[in-house]
Amino acid sequence: MKKALTGLVSLALVMSMIGCGSNNDKDAASSAPAASSPAASSAEASPSASEGDNKDPVTLRVAWWGGQARHDYTLKVIEMYESLNPHVTIEPEYASFDDHWKKLAPNAAAGNLPDVIQMDISYLSQYGGRGQLEDLTAFTQDGTIDVSSISEASLSGGKIGDQLFAMNLGSNALLAVVDKAMLEKAGGTMPTQDWKWEDFTKLGPIMKAQGKILTQDLRHDVFFPFYLRGQGQHMYAADGSSLGYADDKPFIDFYTMYQTWYDNGNLLSLDKLAQKKGTPEDGELELGNAVSTWGWSNQFILSSSVAKRPFEILPVPGWNDNKALFLKPSMYFSIAKNSKVKEEAAKFISFWVNDIEANKIIMGERGVPVSSKVKEALKPSLTPDQAKVFDYVAWAEQNSSQMDPPNPVGAVEVDKLLKDTAEQILYKKLTVEEGAAKFREEANKILAKNKK
Amino acid sequence: MKLRENNHVVGYLFAAPFILGFLVFIVYPVFSSLYYSFTDYNLLESPNWVGLDNYRTMFTDDEKYMKSISVTLNYVFASVPLRLAFALGVAMLLNKAISGIGLYRSAYYLPSLIGGSVAVSILWSQVFGDQGLVNSALGLIGIDSDTSWIGNPATALWTLIALSVWQFGSSMLIFLAGLKNIPKDYYEAASVDGANKVRQFFKITLPLLSPIILFNLIMQTISAFMTFTPAYIISRGEGGPLDQTLLYSLYLYKRAFVFYEMGYASAMAWVALIVIGIVTLLIFQSSRYWVHYESKGDK
Repeated sequence: MKKALTGLVSLALVMSMIGCGSNNDKDAASSAPAASSPAASSAEASPSASEGDNKDPVTLRVAWWGGQARHDYTLKVIEMYESLNPHVTIEPEYASFDDHWKKLAPNAAAGNLPDVIQMDISYLSQYGGRGQLEDLTAFTQDGTIDVSSISEASLSGGKIGDQLFAMNLGSNALLAVVDKAMLEKAGGTMPTQDWKWEDFTKLGPIMKAQGKILTQDLRHDVFFPFYLRGQGQHMYAADGSSLGYADDKPFIDFYTMYQTWYDNGNLLSLDKLAQKKGTPEDGELELGNAVSTWGWSNQFILSSSVAKRPFEILPVPGWNDNKALFLKPSMYFSIAKNSKVKEEAAKFISFWVNDIEANKIIMGERGVPVSSKVKEALKPSLTPDQAKVFDYVAWAEQNSSQMDPPNPVGAVEVDKLLKDTAEQILYKKLTVEEGAAKFREEANKILAKNKK
Repeated sequence: MKLRENNHVVGYLFAAPFILGFLVFIVYPVFSSLYYSFTDYNLLESPNWVGLDNYRTMFTDDEKYMKSISVTLNYVFASVPLRLAFALGVAMLLNKAISGIGLYRSAYYLPSLIGGSVAVSILWSQVFGDQGLVNSALGLIGIDSDTSWIGNPATALWTLIALSVWQFGSSMLIFLAGLKNIPKDYYEAASVDGANKVRQFFKITLPLLSPIILFNLIMQTISAFMTFTPAYIISRGEGGPLDQTLLYSLYLYKRAFVFYEMGYASAMAWVALIVIGIVTLLIFQSSRYWVHYESKGDK
């Protein structure tokens, strides 16, 4: 038996060594063609690529989330970058929003994050604050990431403390997309820019008479914090260890209003909402069943192109109370701490935000560009819908205040808790007051636990 | 002597791929998960030892955890007996000698082949959706309904149970094999003695089939406890309205990959392992009261 065991162990050793050996072979084999093809192409492009030191072949992994349209144009931009920088090979990794984060977490645990990561504000603290992301300040200072035409305000959205963990790719503002034609056909009048939540509520019966609803839903994790800003409150405390408010009144007011809409049949019923994929293709506005949809400015273009009807943009009611309106980075690019080619990654990001030809492909789909030069250059080629968004964001910029700092660690769980609580209120399992208290207590618990 | 040792080496050599795979993909992960269950591992930072904290939180301070347990128990206790009864019923029908029986058998087995797959779950969410097959069928018999069965808290779990029952094929095949093994002369003798079909079923079929029932019961119970895909796909990863379809494995997955709490999720996995172990043991223990082995001769 002993003999058998020693035999087994030595065999395991031998096998694992063979395993390692063949792995190395494979690496060598796979890197060989990768090495030879850029070399071949850079030989062709030798007159232009004669600067010298950056000729070593580089492989960059770039990861993002999105829908098919975004994948398509992003791959085009990547192709463009590769043709301009023959020594760079880019490995794209793309997925839906949820899957993106599910893929990143194990990669982070293995120290194998992609070099360039599309980052979202709700995960920025989690990854940045836990040492997974590179501070980009050095790259912006030495010009590897050119920020000469980007305002400090735009940059600051990617900061935690004084460290720049993420590069803003575009600005977004909250808005309501309204189907003016549908509203007027139902006998309503288009609200003015200064409308209030009551004005929205009043549209309910008018639309209901036509068998239409006001909107599918309002995303709780987006619009409740916005409502709080209008009341001079914030969702999260500055240090992220608790909620930013202690008085339940704003919660009660907002969800009493929300429940009124729901009970009056002005929102999509919860059982049907549970089936929605959340794409514009199955949105109630786009399908012609609702008069509005609420969200971020970069989503407007997709909504109107799917519906093939013209829509109007209105700011969110109460945008002027306490300067509730704010500009938010739509999404970011970050560089992983474990990346071995940080400088090349930084060059790619700089290209993405500054190159005019590249942005003619992107066309503000990741939010209105942060570079003023790019913004100017794109203006003549914008479609009317794109121009509406650019104009709205420009207007919002003049009428907004500083956005809240990135959500603290644990916010993803708090967002889910808020959605659950709202659901329980709408299903009448909890009164609004009970929901308010329960949400506050449990959210504080989650945040405290994550703060440690 | 020498030759015999060599023989061993060859044996181990051939077994090596499995042994290595077993060590690397089963033994190591199992033990690291045990270790992580005592830590606050969040995937992004190295784990800290927190002792029994995860287990304590689970049972004293996590409403959703308790909810997921009750959902899972409901699901197991409803779906397993229904599925087995259905499988046995169909197996008895398919045990008849009629022409084209092979075709019927394949057709009934088909849903299990595509079993736990994503595609079936998507199909299911169409069937039970607000404009789905079920509502159209109800419309045909004059019942007007536009509710979404999968989005309605009262019915959501039942759509999952229905899906599980629909996938009865593998247990049916095993039942079928068992039925074929029951000698025909038992039935002949019984009918000569005047026993009707119902009596024959309870006095002959069920006792002789009981070892097979035990096997199916255990296998199906374990797999029901671990059901994940349909709940995940049909509820879009959310666990359904008011957490009505928040199965244990789905909640575990959410803790691990949505909230990045690997430590907690590992602890949950260990509790699940132990509970499933206990339930299996209880079924085994109970079997001596209802399982009948011919070989024992205790007729």
